[in-house]
Amino acid sequence: MLSESELKLDLSIIKNDLATGIRECSHRGLYHSAKWLSEINFSIAHIKTSPEDDNKAEVELESESYSLAKSYFDLKEYDRCAFFTEACVEPKPRFLHLYSQYLSIEKKKLDNMTDTNCPPDPTKNNALRMLCTALKEDHFLNKLDGYCLYLYGIILKKLDLNSLAMDIFVDAINEEPLHWGAWQELALLVPDKSTLLSLRLPSHWMKYFFLAHVYLEQLNNEEALDIYYDLHGQGFEKSTYIMAQMAIAYHNRRELDKAILMFKELLHLDPYRLDNLDTYSNLLYVKEMKTELANLAHTAVNIDKYRVETCCVIGNYYSLRSEHSKAVLYFQRALKLNPQYLSAWTLMGHEFMEMKNTNAAIQSYRQAIEVNRRDYRAWYGLGQTYEILKMPFYCIYYYKQAQQLRPNDSRMILALGETYEKLDKPENALKCYYKACNVGDVEGMALVKLAKLYDKLNEVDNAAAAYTDFCLKEEDQRGGGYDGENEFYNAFQYLANYHLKRGQLQDAYAYAYKCIEHDETKEQGKSLLKAIATRRAEQEGFLVKTSDQSKNNVTDLSNDANGSGMEMVFSPLNN
Amino acid sequence: MKIVSVDNINVDNYRKLVHTYLNLHAYNTALFWADKVVALTSGNPRDIYWLAQCMFLLKQFHRAAHLLRSKNLDKSYILCNYLTVRCLFEANELNEALKVLNSMDLEVFLQTGNTSCNVSIDAGMFDDTPKYQVQSSVLLLKGKVLEAMDNRGLASECYKQALQCDVYCFEAFDSLICHHMLSAAEEQELLNSLPIAQQCTTAEAEVLRTLYKSKLKKYNTIVGVIPTKTCKPIYHNTPLQTSLIVLHKKFVNIAETPKASTTSCTPTSEVGMDKTEDSKAEHMVLDSLENSIQIRLQQSLDLAVSQAELFYYNCDYVQCSKLTENILKEDPYHAACLPIHISCMVELKQSNKLFTLAHNLVDLYPNLAISWFAVGCYYYVIGTIWTLVAVENEHDQAMAAYFKMSLTFVYIGLECGLTNNVRLAERFFQQAQIIAPDDPFVMHEMGVIAFQNLDFETAEKHFQDALIRVKPIKDSIVPERWEPLLNNLGHTCRKLKKYCEALEYHHQALVLCPQSASTYSAIAYVHSLVNNIEDAVHWFHKALGLRRDDTFSTTMLNYVIEQLSMEQLPYPDAPDFIPDYDIGTNVEEDTTTNDNAGNSSERQITASDMSIEVDL
Repeated sequence: MLSESELKLDLSIIKNDLATGIRECSHRGLYHSAKWLSEINFSIAHIKTSPEDDNKAEVELESESYSLAKSYFDLKEYDRCAFFTEACVEPKPRFLHLYSQYLSIEKKKLDNMTDTNCPPDPTKNNALRMLCTALKEDHFLNKLDGYCLYLYGIILKKLDLNSLAMDIFVDAINEEPLHWGAWQELALLVPDKSTLLSLRLPSHWMKYFFLAHVYLEQLNNEEALDIYYDLHGQGFEKSTYIMAQMAIAYHNRRELDKAILMFKELLHLDPYRLDNLDTYSNLLYVKEMKTELANLAHTAVNIDKYRVETCCVIGNYYSLRSEHSKAVLYFQRALKLNPQYLSAWTLMGHEFMEMKNTNAAIQSYRQAIEVNRRDYRAWYGLGQTYEILKMPFYCIYYYKQAQQLRPNDSRMILALGETYEKLDKPENALKCYYKACNVGDVEGMALVKLAKLYDKLNEVDNAAAAYTDFCLKEEDQRGGGYDGENEFYNAFQYLANYHLKRGQLQDAYAYAYKCIEHDETKEQGKSLLKAIATRRAEQEGFLVKTSDQSKNNVTDLSNDANGSGMEMVFSPLNN
Repeated sequence: MKIVSVDNINVDNYRKLVHTYLNLHAYNTALFWADKVVALTSGNPRDIYWLAQCMFLLKQFHRAAHLLRSKNLDKSYILCNYLTVRCLFEANELNEALKVLNSMDLEVFLQTGNTSCNVSIDAGMFDDTPKYQVQSSVLLLKGKVLEAMDNRGLASECYKQALQCDVYCFEAFDSLICHHMLSAAEEQELLNSLPIAQQCTTAEAEVLRTLYKSKLKKYNTIVGVIPTKTCKPIYHNTPLQTSLIVLHKKFVNIAETPKASTTSCTPTSEVGMDKTEDSKAEHMVLDSLENSIQIRLQQSLDLAVSQAELFYYNCDYVQCSKLTENILKEDPYHAACLPIHISCMVELKQSNKLFTLAHNLVDLYPNLAISWFAVGCYYYVIGTIWTLVAVENEHDQAMAAYFKMSLTFVYIGLECGLTNNVRLAERFFQQAQIIAPDDPFVMHEMGVIAFQNLDFETAEKHFQDALIRVKPIKDSIVPERWEPLLNNLGHTCRKLKKYCEALEYHHQALVLCPQSASTYSAIAYVHSLVNNIEDAVHWFHKALGLRRDDTFSTTMLNYVIEQLSMEQLPYPDAPDFIPDYDIGTNVEEDTTTNDNAGNSSERQITASDMSIEVDL
């Protein structure tokens, strides 16, 4: 969709656009969009625009009611703001009128939230529904401008009318392409790439930022990175936003070191930035970098104690120190600040899992999915909880959701396979393990499980091949403190038996010999060796008697009969 | 003590005194002097009538009635008869009242009135009330008595006759309309049959028609969205006036909707057109509209109340409460507005406002039913039904007056429906439908009954009829109230195996009333029926997310999720056969690290092999 030639940005135009956008957004109290635009603007501070363009920004005469309403709005006196703008028809006070009503509803919802009803009951939304009806009527009469459309979309989304909301956001973007908030909300709603490509979007430079954002949101990390690299190369190399997004992409790709490096650089450039630090703390957590995480937590607390990101960092820190109840406390604090904060829900679910509180974990994971259906960690977590609850059908559904979001992550498919095995569906389980091996097994257990299932399904040759591979791999990794020794030696035992049955005594002998190294399989190994020895003796005797037997036997014998085997039969017994 | 001759006294002076004091509402003084006049004139019927009138105004009903009847005046004088009946009616002696009423033949009075000078002169002597108005009042009173005795059929006949005698007799009209004695068609017929043209001038006739029109059945006309361009608001800015202007605009629009009449406002604009022939026609129309009597009359809160009622019946509660709030700002205790206002607040669940209002009302008018109605509504909103029941029992009579008849039938029907007495429920709804054949509420309930009778085709028809009535002209905004209708239509379509339509209706219901657990699970159920299991699982999950103890959804989810897990491929691109093991080579191709590992371990084994050999 985006070829190299297509992406040509004229930075001076962008700069003018940004100035307009920042002005419009901050006049309407859309602070997050204004912040984002300003950050982008700052990253191209070196570009100078022609002075005449600067003067173009006409000085508008603001009405008295607008300035009154805006001052109330800034002081978060939303109801007053709404009251004094009721009769206004100019776009800005009109927007403030509607927006302040919305914010008032949301603020009251947060204020009324207690420990017990976090998040607030979604069905108690009468005020929101009424506001929605008012907007619906205005929309029908075509009285909504781009910003009001955005607000309408937000409310629809809050009311879970997502497909309607998506259309409205597209309209809003076409009217006001400089309003980043609308793009961002749309990005959360686009379910997949085909929908994305079918959207009727304006050809505007903001679209590139949007596309990259959506790709990242959809875990399509490669395409996201491509665009970010492009933007990076076209003059936005100083943008902290792009850096953070790239770091997240690396994190998603499990290129942890690269991501950590990126975050470190980011914090060097912008030491008081809290945005996305939760992702950074996740990285440090996974890498078990305790001191780094502690440092990060202290820095974050110093910047702002009551930010969701800070709470999340601290939560992760406690979790790494196995103080799970404390971690939960901090995640809960984050959720009190913002009940829509995805990371905290998922991480809290993990903590509850650690504390063996399955019900609370399920609730947390479900909330996470309510916030964002693409959170594969929450789906996976749900699968795990239902595994504990011994509800395998649910388990399969949840693991499947996770697997579809991360088709190349072996953990999900492995979990799926295990559940199929529990449901006595060996074929399906086998296919899962097979796929897990194919996508690159992280934990190294897929292969042996696959082998066992092949065996169970009487696919003996396949089983043996899988076991052989398993042994080869494990042999290599044993230095790294591998503790699944039993599996390892059982594999040897299986292979010894397999080869013995096939009369491949040489191989059988080698594997049986390995068995003796381990306590559990020692006895088995010994008896195997004995059996091999008898077989050998039989075969030799047999060979003497009937030297002109079938070719198979001859070849078998010739494989084994290199003499060295004979002596080895007894040598382990001496040890 | 000096003896004064009767002849020296001008009794008329005393009569004047009585009138003056009556006008000043000094009834006791008036009574005193009226009594003296009667004594002086030794029982002049006219003076006795005035004495009785004073007693009536002092609420001494029995005394007045006794006075008139003991002198037998109720049999010979129409006004005395009227007053007697009035007194007995007020004293709640209904049978007596009717007896007295029937003791005088109205027809005789009217016919003989022209010839027999005795009665007519006497009647005219009492005061100069025109005869047809007296007649109309008598008929109205008769109607009231009959209605109080629960004889609705005869009562409505009396009201109609009263109205025929005197088209200005609003009370008769109001009784017919407000107590839902007529069906919508009959109301229209009544309005057309009135001898308005005979009794008033053309202009007055127009005004009267307009006023009466505004009172007619509300739920026949559904107001669409009002296009703003019809009138430009160039009026003054006080909130009430603007609201009245808005109201006027809507009024014009009602006239334009096909169902409503075309008489109300369009004629005036035509008049305006006649007057102005130049290009500024439109402006002049506006001017003439502004000066027209209709616009002036909009200042009457009564019409605003009618508009509010219209909003209420269209379920536009927000608009309605805005309007009623403005009305109550003007007239805080507007009797007709209060019930609508209170009902509106119930719909909008504004418990705090309701609490304040109910308190004020009970403090000021503890005897009025509306006060207790407000209290009851407050308890209803905050959810303590038991108190409501208590209040309701206490003021049963009062409540009955406020609940509109057809709605009452609907409620009774609902009650029966809930107790599964389907037959009975159906009867009630049919009764309601006779009164208001176009009322979508009734149609909806009929549909529900048909649905419960498993007659899905009829149910669908009823629901569709209702939907057509509910949907405004441009198919834009259906009030939230109608969410059940759409859902029911969805259920019916599902029963009729029209699954796509069912889904469509449920989704429409969701737009009206988002985040409803039951709608979610209905959607899920349809999906599961068309074997769209993945979607079914998704929607059941959503339903349970909102209502965790929903057994239907839980059971269904268990079932569909099991089906899903068993039927679906383990992952999207899974092969349908058991794959042969060839991963070793794959892995070697894919990742170099594994490749190395494999090779080196192979080498290791051989090496160890070798070493053992060497050892030995």
